[in-house]
Amino acid sequence: MSGLAATRLVARREITERVREKSFLLSTAINIVIIVAVVIVISLIGGGEERYAVGYVDAADAPVLEAAVAGGAAVDVELEARQVAAGDVRAQIEDGSLDAAIVDDRIVAEEDPPDELVTLLQGASAQARAAQALKEAGVSGAQAREILDPAPLEVATTEPTDEDEDSKAGVAFFTILILYGQLLTYGYWVSAGVVEEKSSRVVEVVLSTIKPAHLLAGKVIGLGLLGLANLLLTAAVGLGTAQATGALDVDGAVVGAAALAVVWFIVGYAFYAGAFACAGALVPRQEELQSSMTPLTLTILIAFFLAFAVNSNPDGTLAHVTAFIPMTAPVTMPPRIVTGDAPTWEIVASFAVTIGAAVAMIPLAARIYRGGVLRTGSALKLREAWRAARA
Amino acid sequence: MLELRDLARRYGDVVALDGISFTVGAGQMFGFVGPNGAGKTTAMRIILGVLAPDRGEVTFGGRPVTFQTRTRFGYMPEERGLYPKMRVRDQLTYLARLHGLQAVAAKESAGRWIGRLGLSERAGDRVEQLSLGNQQRVQLAAALVHEPELLVLDEPFSGLDPVGVDVLSDVLSDYAAGGVPVLFSSHQLELVERLCQAVAIIKDGRIVASGPVDELRDRGAAGRRVRVAVEGAADYEWVSGVPGAAVVDRGPQGALVALANGGPPDELLDAARRAGSVTYFAFERPSLTDLFREAVTA
Repeated sequence: MSGLAATRLVARREITERVREKSFLLSTAINIVIIVAVVIVISLIGGGEERYAVGYVDAADAPVLEAAVAGGAAVDVELEARQVAAGDVRAQIEDGSLDAAIVDDRIVAEEDPPDELVTLLQGASAQARAAQALKEAGVSGAQAREILDPAPLEVATTEPTDEDEDSKAGVAFFTILILYGQLLTYGYWVSAGVVEEKSSRVVEVVLSTIKPAHLLAGKVIGLGLLGLANLLLTAAVGLGTAQATGALDVDGAVVGAAALAVVWFIVGYAFYAGAFACAGALVPRQEELQSSMTPLTLTILIAFFLAFAVNSNPDGTLAHVTAFIPMTAPVTMPPRIVTGDAPTWEIVASFAVTIGAAVAMIPLAARIYRGGVLRTGSALKLREAWRAARA
Repeated sequence: MLELRDLARRYGDVVALDGISFTVGAGQMFGFVGPNGAGKTTAMRIILGVLAPDRGEVTFGGRPVTFQTRTRFGYMPEERGLYPKMRVRDQLTYLARLHGLQAVAAKESAGRWIGRLGLSERAGDRVEQLSLGNQQRVQLAAALVHEPELLVLDEPFSGLDPVGVDVLSDVLSDYAAGGVPVLFSSHQLELVERLCQAVAIIKDGRIVASGPVDELRDRGAAGRRVRVAVEGAADYEWVSGVPGAAVVDRGPQGALVALANGGPPDELLDAARRAGSVTYFAFERPSLTDLFREAVTA
């Protein structure tokens, strides 16, 4: 049988067996529930515009509210103004149907009203009084408008602004979280699968008919495809929910960023999977796996924390350095791509470095795996496995 | 025909095999016996190519064993050798496919061996849910599912109840009768003696005896041994009066007496008749167990 056919058979077994496991289905379901819940919570607490209901008693205050509504629209604050009877003001404020009311030149609210609301109402009130004063002084309506409503100052920023900046930071945050979880989970499955074969000795039967490199490749590819499918599903559900709830405006750029994050999973997984397979090949039993995996889980954990540091300062030195370390790039780069803080040349170069490292890892991992996987008894050191692979 | 020539292998400073050679003929059941740690598993792993020898060679049908040849070998390692969570039928089909069978043929063969080994009702169960006896049957099926041209089994009988032993030995004998060499290791020497045409005894990485069981037993035990029963002289102290004779075993059938120098038993018989009424007197060939003890304690 050709190596390709053997690899395909092994990969297919990994997928079909894993998919039939309750633990896999459960963890996938939990992932999806979490992502949906998180997106919904975001859409409820943040995101959308602020809304206030403001009442007034005296019809003479109507122009003040009109000005406030117009002013609010300019800063993404929606004001709803309505006239209420003087006797109802208190009751409506207390039952929450009004956030504030203007009564006898006072702003009435249940507690200290939000600053932006107060600012809007004060500004509108000053504007209305000024208009009144100008009118009394005999200034014509057109002149008065010119005085009171000058062209606003234009806003110029030194860096390009992005209306979705906050949302994108949120997406970046979850990208880090998901990539971290995904690398750890699927890396662990590679390790655990290797140990299962080793401790049950089935590896001896398998390796009497196919080569270690093909078994390793099939296992890594099979689980990798599963991880990819899982990630695509999570991304699709997450983005779909975000769009449906309005938590994020899902446009081509967001989808593109998500696609790049998926590609980074593939590269990161390619880099780490071989190492996880070696961690499995070095120990005889599941119970000892935890300790042999520690250097890897720790590395990914460090990458995870670095990614948060990078996310809070996506153009800092740390961001540029970690982009070129294969252990960290798969977790630190995607959030920068999502927020648009990584220049194209850096994405390409970082990619090339990580892929190069992943490719270089393959023969090393294959040799250590080959040396370790048939050694039963006690746990091996890396060096012992390396030497044992002479045959 | 499988031939091992001068196989040697070390693990670091430990010598696992120190130049072993033996031959398993076509259709032969061959027992591989020796104390724990003597090198049996190492030798088997080398035959299956999961381990490379430092020295020596394995040939099959007169040609060096290659990767291609090995896909037509069947192997059952000690302890399990199966995916614990995989279902019986899926597992056998998968292993058959790994050995090069096409999808349909693999499925058919898996079904056939499931039926042959009485596993039909368990075909959809995970291996870890089966009793140990049934797990062993699945293991055997896994070794046979691709209809191998050579069978190598490491301790196939350990932990089986007598019915399981019968099922397994029937299947193996039938399979060998088709002209396939069957090599297996075991500590159950009576069983090996009953099933095997030939054996090799290994100790500390060296073969201390090998060949057809009958020849070994005829040649065995330095001198000749006589089983003698005498009525009225149950203590057998009279034996010490015979030069070169010594009691090596006492049982309900009488005493087993070894004669040094292979000398004729006439003197022993005379002494027995003087001691009482002789009810039994016969040469006895050493059993495989005797040969084994002698070989490994030497």
